[in-house]
Amino acid sequence: MPTTLTDTPSGAESLILDLHGKYLEEARPSEPFKGLNLASVRRFETLKFPHPKHDLFSFVNAKELAWTRFQLQRDSRIGKDIVRDHVYPGCEKSVLVVADGTFRPDLSDLSALPSQVKVSSLREAVADPAIARYLAETIESENDVFAAINGAFFNDGLYLEVEPAALVETPALILYISSGSASHPTMTVPRVLAKVGRHSEVKIVVKYAGAGGNYFVNSTQDFILEENSKVLYTHIQADPFESWSFAKDRVHLNRYSRFHGVNVYSGCKLARRHHEVHLEDSGAELKLDGVSVLTGREQAHNLVRIHHEAPQCASAQHFKNIVNESSRSSFDGSVIVNKGAQLTNSDQLINNLMLSDDAHADSKPNLMIYADDVKCTHGSTVGQLDEEQLFYLNSRGLSQGMAKSLLTRSFAESILGEIQVPAVASGLRGILSKKLEANHA
Amino acid sequence: MENFILSGALNQINGRKDSMLEIKDLHAGFEGTEIVKGISLTVNKGEIHAIMGPNGSGKSTLSKILAGHPAYEAMGGTVTFMGKDLLELSPDQRALEGIFLGFQYPVEVPGVNNAEFLRMAYNAKMARQGKEELDPLDFDDILDEKMKLVGMDSKYKDRSLNEGFSGGEKKKNEILQMAVLQPKLAILDETDSGLDIDALRVVANGVNKLINQDNAIILITHYQRLLEYVKPHYVHVLSKGEIVKSGDKSLALDLEAQGYDWLTPVPK
Repeated sequence: MPTTLTDTPSGAESLILDLHGKYLEEARPSEPFKGLNLASVRRFETLKFPHPKHDLFSFVNAKELAWTRFQLQRDSRIGKDIVRDHVYPGCEKSVLVVADGTFRPDLSDLSALPSQVKVSSLREAVADPAIARYLAETIESENDVFAAINGAFFNDGLYLEVEPAALVETPALILYISSGSASHPTMTVPRVLAKVGRHSEVKIVVKYAGAGGNYFVNSTQDFILEENSKVLYTHIQADPFESWSFAKDRVHLNRYSRFHGVNVYSGCKLARRHHEVHLEDSGAELKLDGVSVLTGREQAHNLVRIHHEAPQCASAQHFKNIVNESSRSSFDGSVIVNKGAQLTNSDQLINNLMLSDDAHADSKPNLMIYADDVKCTHGSTVGQLDEEQLFYLNSRGLSQGMAKSLLTRSFAESILGEIQVPAVASGLRGILSKKLEANHA
Repeated sequence: MENFILSGALNQINGRKDSMLEIKDLHAGFEGTEIVKGISLTVNKGEIHAIMGPNGSGKSTLSKILAGHPAYEAMGGTVTFMGKDLLELSPDQRALEGIFLGFQYPVEVPGVNNAEFLRMAYNAKMARQGKEELDPLDFDDILDEKMKLVGMDSKYKDRSLNEGFSGGEKKKNEILQMAVLQPKLAILDETDSGLDIDALRVVANGVNKLINQDNAIILITHYQRLLEYVKPHYVHVLSKGEIVKSGDKSLALDLEAQGYDWLTPVPK
């Protein structure tokens, strides 16, 4: 990891600017996308790629990524067979496919979703000036350079709107599938905007996967929760190792709305998630959990910024990282309690399980409190598997490999157990077991 | 019970010793400190041995060294189990050979389902014996039967292994594991400690139902109380890492009456 400012990838911005010039010429984005793209590329120029001391990138070395000369994915190779591989039981008829950044109705099946759930492409949705305005605002206030790159190149995406007072039982699965390319690295910029109406409740599962490797998926998702609505969200990062997988999730919580997110990462060359949450009115609740299971040289990084902007809101985060071999994880999380956000309740806990001497886990839990009547906790632990537990299992005839795998699974279980879609949870348990058994064999 | 004791006694009389465990001049300890200082003990099939002794006499070290706890090391002597050099085997291999340690302090393992764990352990044994492994449904029948045997409520199947169990339930869970795994040699390390009299009866009853002519039990205990319910053939007194006296169950009564002070290792 670079430690001096001379490692700053200054100049790498020109690669993105070149690509952007080509993009404007070839894709000829229509308004309002063209305006948004231009505003965003200016934002990118201001933000620049991070130097190693950048506070949003304390533990992420983006130098190689910044210097990679990407092309935009032109020919999507995603077909129904690949989609089928990634659909969870119970979501077959509620699957929304975003292939290489483009919403693909032909690959999607919405038949099990009730009529209160409206799905369209973002191109159609921007006809609504409120949506176009919202997108413009996010670009103005963007602080993450990679999200700014997303804004500079997107000219489509997925818009999902849940009408008020809808109780949607069937989970909506959003599949982000990247084609990748054998000949040159490609970048895709998926964009999703979801708006959940008052008193509605919905389960959303998103999964990032690839058909091939050698791609950079750089997505932005916005969730707007109106009064008293609830979103149960599961986020799965399952890209192949030869990929860069970045996402920014931005959540706006209105009065009494609740967002419960469970994030599961299997890592890749560089996986990074930026969670930005605004608790904007009283009574809003956030629960954000996550687990990374990493091996080889896989990396997964979490950046969390939670803004308590109103009184009597609650946020709770619990992230666990399992790092084996030379893998690395990081968690950089700040809870910002604004002045006036009295009676805030906030908890933050990070547990790291180190399975090898070469593995690396960084934790930076942080609180910034500007109100005087709040209850906030934060903490981080690092540990190995418990020797007494291992011996106990061994003494019953379980081999060292089985015992390690069982204990590691049990470490992850408290997070996986939070997933509200049983088929997804059991699918992930299966994948996790396989990954751990391969490790401990 | 009576038949069982008789057959053990007959074995002795006829000199047909079916040796299971042979400990010869075992020295062992923890972090370089010798705690067990030359123990020799032979346990034959069909026998129950009680090892008694004050705190710090080396009782638990002996049980841990037999089960293969990685923090304990053998510093001299030999241990042969069913003809094999026990000290050469890893803890899981020892378990698969038929050794079972009932823990003094059963370990809590959050997130590991009790029934799933028992099935994994059972199937590891089946696989070792070249038998077919059981799926959860088939195993459930066995588990129900064994839980009844040790008087355990079926709600403990779906709990995490020992997590939040009371002291008594943890000890019962140890006996349940023993019932499921049917070891050749069970070493029960202070299984009676911390149990109220009802729990003690349940545990003792479970042990009595599980012993037969083909297995053996070493009861490690601080108190004579357990021996009212489980009758040992031999009682050994351990003090400062040595067996200072061996006898039949009447020795346990002497200990109860007089304490351990009259027994100290003979100076060499």
